[in-house]
Order: sequence, then C-alpha cells, then structure tokens
Amino acid sequence: MSDAIIQSAPVWAKPTSRYSDLFNRALILIALGALLIFILLPIFWMLKSSFQSTSEVHAIPPSWWAANPSFEPYVIANKIVPLLKYIWNSIFVSASAAILAGIISCMAAYVLARFRFPGATLILVTILLTQLIPPITRVFPVYFLIQNLGLLDSYSGLILAYTGFAVPYAVLLLRGYFQSSVPAELEEAAMMDGCTYFGAFVRVILPICLPGIAAVTIFTFLLAWNDFLWASLLLSSGDAKTIQVGIGGFAGEGGGGRYPNAFMAACVASTIPALIMFFFVQKWLVGGLTAGAVKS
Amino acid sequence: MSEKNLFCYLMVAPALFLTLILGVYPMIDTMIISFQDYDLLTLQSGGVNWVGIDNYSKILADERFVQTIWQTVWMTVLAILFSVSAGLLLAQIINVNFKGRGILRTVVLSPWFVPPVTASAIWIWLLNTNASPINQVLMDWGLIDSNIRFLADSTTWGPFNIPMLSVVAVRSWNGLPIIIIFLLAGLQSIPKSLYEAADMDGAGMFQKFYHVTLPMLRPVLMILLALLFLGGFGHFEMNYVMTGGGPRNLTNVLAVWTYQEGFQFLRYGKAAAASGIILLMTITISIFYLWVESKDNRK
Repeated sequence: MSDAIIQSAPVWAKPTSRYSDLFNRALILIALGALLIFILLPIFWMLKSSFQSTSEVHAIPPSWWAANPSFEPYVIANKIVPLLKYIWNSIFVSASAAILAGIISCMAAYVLARFRFPGATLILVTILLTQLIPPITRVFPVYFLIQNLGLLDSYSGLILAYTGFAVPYAVLLLRGYFQSSVPAELEEAAMMDGCTYFGAFVRVILPICLPGIAAVTIFTFLLAWNDFLWASLLLSSGDAKTIQVGIGGFAGEGGGGRYPNAFMAACVASTIPALIMFFFVQKWLVGGLTAGAVKS
Repeated sequence: MSEKNLFCYLMVAPALFLTLILGVYPMIDTMIISFQDYDLLTLQSGGVNWVGIDNYSKILADERFVQTIWQTVWMTVLAILFSVSAGLLLAQIINVNFKGRGILRTVVLSPWFVPPVTASAIWIWLLNTNASPINQVLMDWGLIDSNIRFLADSTTWGPFNIPMLSVVAVRSWNGLPIIIIFLLAGLQSIPKSLYEAADMDGAGMFQKFYHVTLPMLRPVLMILLALLFLGGFGHFEMNYVMTGGGPRNLTNVLAVWTYQEGFQFLRYGKAAAASGIILLMTITISIFYLWVESKDNRK
C-alpha cells in the first residue's frame, strides 16, 4: 500500500508526506515484528520442547534450543496416553460428523435457496436463531438427551452432537452459495429433459457445488476436531476419548509436570492431522467460509 | 400435497429435525430449568418445583457472580479490541502484493491449526512463572526485577489484573486467524479505483485507511464484531483450561461458572439461570446488530 503512495503522490506538492510515510512504515514494521513473535513463539516453543530431554525443558533459565533433539518424548507420550488411538478416534468422529453434516445441510440449503414452500421462512429463521445460542446454554439438556438415548461414552453420541451443532451454520453458508453461484436455468433444463426434482439435484446441482460442500465439510471437521467441551462431557471415561480430551487428561494427570517434553510432544501430535488438512484446503476454506459475509 | 412441496419437506426434514432437538429444544429446556428448583437433592426426591425468578435473584445477589459477569464483558471487549486491531494491520499487509506474501499468510494463519486446548496447554507452559522464556527475556533486558506471575498474580487495578490480561492475550492469539480471513475477504472486495482516487488527492496511508478502507469494510466489520461478541460472551475452553476461573475468581467468566455450578456442584437450576444471563447478553448484541444493519440499509 505504501509503495503506491510514494510512487504516485506528488512529492513536491507535499514535502512532509514522504518523511511521515517513512516514519509510518517503520512503525508498521515494528508492530508487524512484535505480532509475528507473538504468533510464532508458542508454536516454536512447543516444537523445540517436544524434542528436548526432561532436564533441558526444566532448565532455569529456559533453554531456547534442543541440544540433542530426540524422538523419545513422543515415545513416552504414547506410553502415558494412547496418542495414536485417540487421534484415530478424533479423525473417525470428526470425519463422520463432517460427512453427515455436509449431506444433510446441502439437501436443506438447496431447497431453501431455490423453492418457495409453506413454512420455508419459518424454517430459515429457526435455523438462523439457533446460531445465536452459545453452546454452554444448551449443555445440560443435550447431555441428558444423549444420556437418555444411551449414547454416553460412544462415538455415535458425539457424532450426533457435532452434526447437529454444525448443520445450522452449514445450511446458511451453503444457501448463500447456491443462490450466488448456481444459475437456476441449470436444473430447469435438467427437468425439461425429464429429470425428477431429486434427479436434477443429484445429477446437476451436486457436482457443480462440490467446492462449497467441501468448505462446509472441512469447517465441520475442524469444529469437531478442535472441540473440548462436548467431548469432555460426553466421553467422561472409556476408550472412545478424542485427542483433545486426552490432552486435557494428560495435563490433569500431572504428566504435564513430570514430563513436560512428552506433554509438548502430545500437543504437536494433536496439531498434525489438522495441519495436513489445512495445507490441502487452505484456498477453498478461505473463500468458502466467508462466502456469505461479503457481497460480490 | 404437490410433488414439489413433498420434495422440499423431505429434503429439509433431517436438518430441521437436528436443529430442533439439538438447538431449539435444549435452549427452551434450559430456560425452563432456570425457573425451577433443580438440583441433585430435588431430583432424587422426585419433586422439582417452580420457583419463579428465585434462581436469578440468588445468583445476582452473589458478589462473585456479578464480578463474573463484568469479567466476561471486559475480557470479551479487550480480546476483540486487541485481535481486531492486530487483524486489521495484518490483513492489510497480506493484501499487498510482495515477495514472501504466501509465507507470511501461512505464518499468520498458523494458530488456526492449533486446537484451543493444545494452545492453552502450550501457553500455560510459556506463562509458567519460573520457566517462562518471556520472563527470562524481560529480565535479561532489565525491564523487570522479579518474574511476572502471569497466571497467578492476584493484584488488581480496577477491573483488570495480570491473569485476566494473559488469558485475553491467549484468546486473541487463538481468534486472530479467522478474523484475518474475514477482513481479507472484505479488503478484496474494495475496488482498486477508490485507492487510486485517494492517491490523486495526495492522501497519506492513515488517511486512506480512515476514509476508504474503514467505511468500505463496515459491513464485514459489523458482522465480524457481532460474531465475536456472541462467541466471546459464551467463551469457555481457554478460560476453563488455563485458569479454571482462578486465581480468586479473577479470570472467571459466565460459561465457566455455569459449567462448574452444573457439573461440579450439580446445582442445575442456578447454572441454567447463569445460562439465561448469557442468552440475554447475546440477544442484546443480536438486536443491536440487526438495528444497526437496518439503519444502514435504509440510508
């Protein structure tokens, strides 16, 4: 931005502006540097601690570099909590919820975007209102509901909960997507050719909307992957624990105190699957998540 | 029923069903519980009574609860102020074309793939009074005489204290990426010609920001602020994991209070009343947002 000013502003007309711009640029660079340290310090600290020995991590003053990097903390971490199992649980739960939410919200979003039918507005408003309720205000009824269904400590209960929480946002997002980027003539043409309503939806609409559906699916995956509140409530014991609950438990068991390096290794492990996803889908996600927020 | 309507209802049914049982029903049920005498004792004796606004007046008479409400508001406001200003700066820098922009973008968005619980765990370790590298650096530079007790110091200045600011910093760290993404989307929708016109008038960097960028970002900023306030008032995870409300209730927020009241002390009635207060706060924000939005649209 500042390049443009220096090139195009007539310097002779405003002799001071150039110096004040230089000053501003310096200020901005300092602020940028401080923010980058703020953003990167925790990530750096987690990584280096996860390769250090226990005594190195406990050293005072703290040591900034792993002198003899080793994978031992990862091995210890996996002995204290079954990391791989918990990560697999997380992937299974998050992926199931993401796929379910993708399908369910896509169906609803399509008819809400395209058709007028009695009650459509009421349904839309209901879905919109659900978005305004903070999760904590529905903690008890949802907990008792899952308990009554006999789904506590099971994958299904958690998958049901995540799907349900993601659907409203996903419907709103996809509805905007259907309205803005899929021309109505497409399915009209398909219907002319003898497709049923459902046939037109599956054969014509779905294939074009894959990017939007992908964004919603990824959004749900990350929502479920990052969640701690519901997982810790609904999976109080048992083998179905997700990695977030595992990390929380690790800290609680005093593992964080005795083996901080193993604890940091567990933290690194918990970020890896999301990290891989992130690199694959960065572009889709950035455009897709905010599709409704900006009028194009 | 026409074939078209039948198709529509069938398509919308699963989403509506999930929204009703996991969104609408729980909210109504929580509100009902908040007017009942609902705890472990009354549950076991089988008699749950209506008590009117008793739960509300009891919690509002509790000094610690009122303090918790104010802390919820303050922490949300501070986190939003800090993360939105940082987000505005970073989003604008990333929006300029330069070498290394892709790397900068990835770096700036990196907190996104660190789950909140993991982030809290790392920060607890970073902010540990004796082992903190931040304290070490500040000591080396001679800026402080004794280690800052980031998460344990209970000295207060008005409504503020060090643990509160520490948690606010971590919440901002966690929230920054999504803010930057919203702002980037907003920045990219601003026509270049506006900046060219401002250049012709000899506008400086801050003038352009104030007279072009901010007004054009207004719709995105408004929805972003509404979402951040809604999320902030109900924020749970980082406060719960990092401090659990301590020291001496100084970092407690409504969501943590609700959780502890309900799942540790099993006083569901009071916990539901606290949820009712959160709901009241989010409804206020929503109404305010809709009011501003409709005023903007009428112009």
